[in-house]
Amino acid sequence: MPIVIKNLSFTYSKGTPYEKKALDDINLTINEGDFLGIIGHTGSGKSTFIQHINGLIKPQEGEIEIFDIKLTSQKRPKVNLKELRSQVGMVFQYPEYQLFADTVEKDVAFGPKNLGLSNEEIKERVKEAIEMVGLDYEKVKDRAPFELSGGQKRRVAIAGIIAMRPKMLILDEPTAGLDPYGKEQILNLIRHLKEHCSPTIVVISHDIDEITRFANRIVVFNDSHIVYDEPMQELFKHSRQLQAIGLDIPRAVKIANALRYKGINISNNIVTAEDLLKNIVELYNKKHNTNIDAQKAAFDMYDFSHKWIAKDNKEGDDCQNINESSDKHIEESQEDKIDDNKKDNKDEIIVNQQKQKRDKR
Amino acid sequence: MARAVLLKDVCFSYNANQPDTVEAIKKLSLEIEEGSFVALVGHNGSGKSTLAKLLNGLLLPTSGDVRIFGDSTMDNKKLFDIRKNVGMVFQNPDNQMIASIVEDDIAFGPENLGIEREEIIRRVDWALTKVGMLEHKKGTPFKMSGGQKQRLAIAGVLAIKPKILVLDESTAMLDPQGRSEVLKVAHELNKQEGMTIIHITHFMEEALGADRLIVMNDGEIAFDDTPQNVFRHYEELKNIKLAVPWDTQFAISLAKLGIDTGEITKEEDLIDSLCRLL
Repeated sequence: MPIVIKNLSFTYSKGTPYEKKALDDINLTINEGDFLGIIGHTGSGKSTFIQHINGLIKPQEGEIEIFDIKLTSQKRPKVNLKELRSQVGMVFQYPEYQLFADTVEKDVAFGPKNLGLSNEEIKERVKEAIEMVGLDYEKVKDRAPFELSGGQKRRVAIAGIIAMRPKMLILDEPTAGLDPYGKEQILNLIRHLKEHCSPTIVVISHDIDEITRFANRIVVFNDSHIVYDEPMQELFKHSRQLQAIGLDIPRAVKIANALRYKGINISNNIVTAEDLLKNIVELYNKKHNTNIDAQKAAFDMYDFSHKWIAKDNKEGDDCQNINESSDKHIEESQEDKIDDNKKDNKDEIIVNQQKQKRDKR
Repeated sequence: MARAVLLKDVCFSYNANQPDTVEAIKKLSLEIEEGSFVALVGHNGSGKSTLAKLLNGLLLPTSGDVRIFGDSTMDNKKLFDIRKNVGMVFQNPDNQMIASIVEDDIAFGPENLGIEREEIIRRVDWALTKVGMLEHKKGTPFKMSGGQKQRLAIAGVLAIKPKILVLDESTAMLDPQGRSEVLKVAHELNKQEGMTIIHITHFMEEALGADRLIVMNDGEIAFDDTPQNVFRHYEELKNIKLAVPWDTQFAISLAKLGIDTGEITKEEDLIDSLCRLL
């Protein structure tokens, strides 16, 4: 059962001088199995839109149908929001900020507990979810979430959503603020989830190069409207229009366009770095009469030698794979913990407190 | 040129002398000339943020010496001057705003230094001009974009007139536009005011415009050279969980197939080179 959104409009602070239209007559169908990327400027309406799908905002005009649940502006019939939210899992920006329990297990169990499941069922789901995000259940279940590294915390937060076994997953800027390696792990995780957990995935991201690595369809928001809704291969034929509304286009497309502009007969169907590499090899072979195999072209920027593999849940714990010795593993995660999270925040808090104190005086 | 920063055999451990001690900086020595633009890159937990906090005495070395324009951070009497000279901007723009009006927020630093009112006003205007936010002087920071807030945070530090500006992952939480705004401001301050900039980031691309790129790994310096020279070690960089810029990687991928584009760091160079080849 797909998700159908019809004539959806929404205005913030309606009827006040601060009135601001965020969505204007949005129509969209999300099919089961879609790997949908949503792009758009800050303030283009994309966040307001996904909050609707999760029932966080009630439609003002129009209607949304999600897995047989109908959301309208009417008060009745009453919508079962619990049901809706267990089917549509939402991972917000910086989800690790929402961790609150004193152990990883309790934190992940919070969602299923609220669904009123039995204790055994909860336990089973928690274990499954933690392993699904690539962490070692036995190792992390009793640890405080705050002891984990930034990337690990984010995975725990995602596990909390997965434990509700949603049919659809929405992720808002899932890789923001992570280092390249942490980003890569989350991207691998999302692909893994698509295969093994939730068949329909919607991702919002500012990084177009990232989106082109997994999406099969892209929706572009601009100024409270959907301006494009196309398969990924087609979208960047509008690259000039996309740039005109201030959006980035993939690097490979940018270079292909520049080469075409300079009179080189480059293909129209380039989206990823691999596409561009292959096309360049073909053109090079023609001009220089060489015989380089285009199929060998590989863009392995993200191919970290200690790759985290999501295929097998048991192999998931990245720290295990990175470091040979378990001592080092502890050292690193502790350093992560202290260096990047606690101290950072602590220092900032201290500095701010001092500032405020002085200010009061 | 004066020597802005000198680190000699600096070690730093969190929870020193306790069973759960963690060695974050391992016998590190480093000099930074005044007026240079240094990018400091490393993955999470490599020690780069610890290093930043050693520079203005937020953390004190377990052993070794940190000197800013010759003054040691271990010298309590000098610490105030050191903090005046080393301005820090952190990652989260929301944690660094204290006042509800932009100009009050910027004036906070100089007010605490006991500077005269007229001079404060001059400095606020100057600082806001430098980050391109003068028109928002009477506005409120809370409704601004991340990039704008982070530029305000920089202005707040500028008003103290530091000689060294440390950006501790100040671009990490921003969208691409906000990121380039902040970087632009940093480069302008470096060129126009001769300010020493230490830019800490996860992303190699942001190191492109820097005079010098220091790569940290495991509490030590793994590379310290011009960005171009560091990028040649792309395989080793991958081993320490870092990626070279996209255009460089693209040229490397072509080179592996036997197509030589020459050394590439920027997009324009890649396009020019491809035009010649095709």
